[in-house]
Amino acid sequence: MIGYIRLELLRVVRDLTFVLFGIAMPVVMYLIFTNLGLAPGDEREVALYLMVSMAAYGGMGAAFNNGTGLGEDKALGWLRQLRLTPLRPVTVIAGKTVTGMAVVVPAIVAILLAGTLINGVSLSPGRWAAVICLLWAGTVPFTLFGLGNGYRLTGQAAGIANFAAGMALAVVGGLWLPTDRFPGWLKAISDWTPARAYADLARDVAFGQAPTARAALILLGWLAVFGLYAMYGYRRAGERS
Amino acid sequence: MSVNAVTLTELTKSFGTVRAVDGLTLDIPQGQTLALLGPNGAGKSTAIGMLLGLSAPDSGTAEVFGGGPQAAVRAGRVGAMTQEGGLIPRVTVRELVGFVAGCYPAPLPVDQVLATARLTGLAGRRADRLSGGQAQRVRFAMALVGDPGLLVLDEPTAALDVEARREFWEGMHHFAARGTTILFSTHYLDEADDHADRIVMISGGRVVADGTAKEIKRVTALTTVSLTVSGETAWLARLPGVSAVEIRGGRARLRSTDSDATVTALAEARAIRDLEVSPADLEDAFVALTAAPLPPTPETSAAR
Repeated sequence: MIGYIRLELLRVVRDLTFVLFGIAMPVVMYLIFTNLGLAPGDEREVALYLMVSMAAYGGMGAAFNNGTGLGEDKALGWLRQLRLTPLRPVTVIAGKTVTGMAVVVPAIVAILLAGTLINGVSLSPGRWAAVICLLWAGTVPFTLFGLGNGYRLTGQAAGIANFAAGMALAVVGGLWLPTDRFPGWLKAISDWTPARAYADLARDVAFGQAPTARAALILLGWLAVFGLYAMYGYRRAGERS
Repeated sequence: MSVNAVTLTELTKSFGTVRAVDGLTLDIPQGQTLALLGPNGAGKSTAIGMLLGLSAPDSGTAEVFGGGPQAAVRAGRVGAMTQEGGLIPRVTVRELVGFVAGCYPAPLPVDQVLATARLTGLAGRRADRLSGGQAQRVRFAMALVGDPGLLVLDEPTAALDVEARREFWEGMHHFAARGTTILFSTHYLDEADDHADRIVMISGGRVVADGTAKEIKRVTALTTVSLTVSGETAWLARLPGVSAVEIRGGRARLRSTDSDATVTALAEARAIRDLEVSPADLEDAFVALTAAPLPPTPETSAAR
């Protein structure tokens, strides 16, 4: 398992364009939203709120991106090669999930740095630590969703599915626009999305509130669903060859 | 009494209406080097996929060392080289082979395997920047680095030039001396002849011949004599040496075990028109072995 993680991380580190691309867009969006006065309300609160939202968006996007790379792996016969080693499927998925947890870090950190250095967001060290941990650990369900798409679909379709899923979850989950302006039915959907639960956990902590058990349970529920999905996708990917 | 390395029993697999593997039964004792010989589409890769646990048979069973293929793979008793792929970018040859070694319980030393596969000079090269022959040797190294009891090589020399093929088999003999069971598929008769203890020919997903290279070659010593014919043709089958006659669009194709006698008889009958004599190819061998034209029509085999 360590060997597999090492190998996958080597591949990521040697492909920095992939990492940088995932960072640039959320950072630019964050700076536009906060500095062009598009969002109403207290400037510092907006800077903090949007920092966490955009860090969630960036982390989620990087998590999905991690799965898109599987399209290449599949085309290269790498997945089949892995199935011919003694590695168990759950080990492969766990290894790839750990890789996903590494690739989300730059995306999240870039937004947090932009928030502090450019927009002057300040939090107590304990609150920083909690926000970072929640933003980081909360990407795991999305990583698994992205892996499931990557295993199950062909390269191009996986890329489109991951991009679309990331966008849809970002919008419906209220990462771009606050959900209190949503119509009732959309808000009802939003409340159950993993993106909303993920961002709410970190935002609550950032604003000094305790995170809700409801959000945690919703995110854990999706973790289980997407975990099974990734497993299903991997098994299916192996059967066709 | 040791169990067979591989036991395939009545293995069947269809893709849509095409029955790729059709009741394949095969035992491979431990220590044997077996060539699975057949033309493209004979079902070699499909059979290998099932024996490696990559795909499930529609019916029948595949056993490796007396258990399920996946269990054998998980236990590190199987090393496999697929036809293509398996090489990822941004990783060196040594990193890739070292990673595979780390997956197995008792791997061979990576340096030794790189040397065996003649890759020592390429260890630091990115795995996606190799020639076809070099890439094939990396796949070979990945298959054997775990020191498996069963080594499965699916068309290991397909798409290689003569020199690369020779180099590949050199590395392979080095390893075969260890007593490992080796199964390789090929559509080159000479390759099966040179490198296997036993040759199993498959066609239409079934075993059509099973024996030593010598036994198989005797069958493939058939020659095709073809000529343009008109009118009554039944007499052709009675010519010396002729074992089968096929008439197609005014051409007769005679399969002959003694082409000299056949041609002489044709000359005596003053029947020589546009005569062609061609040595046996694999397809002729199959026709001779199966006494039926290739390939079996998929429509007649019941789709699942």
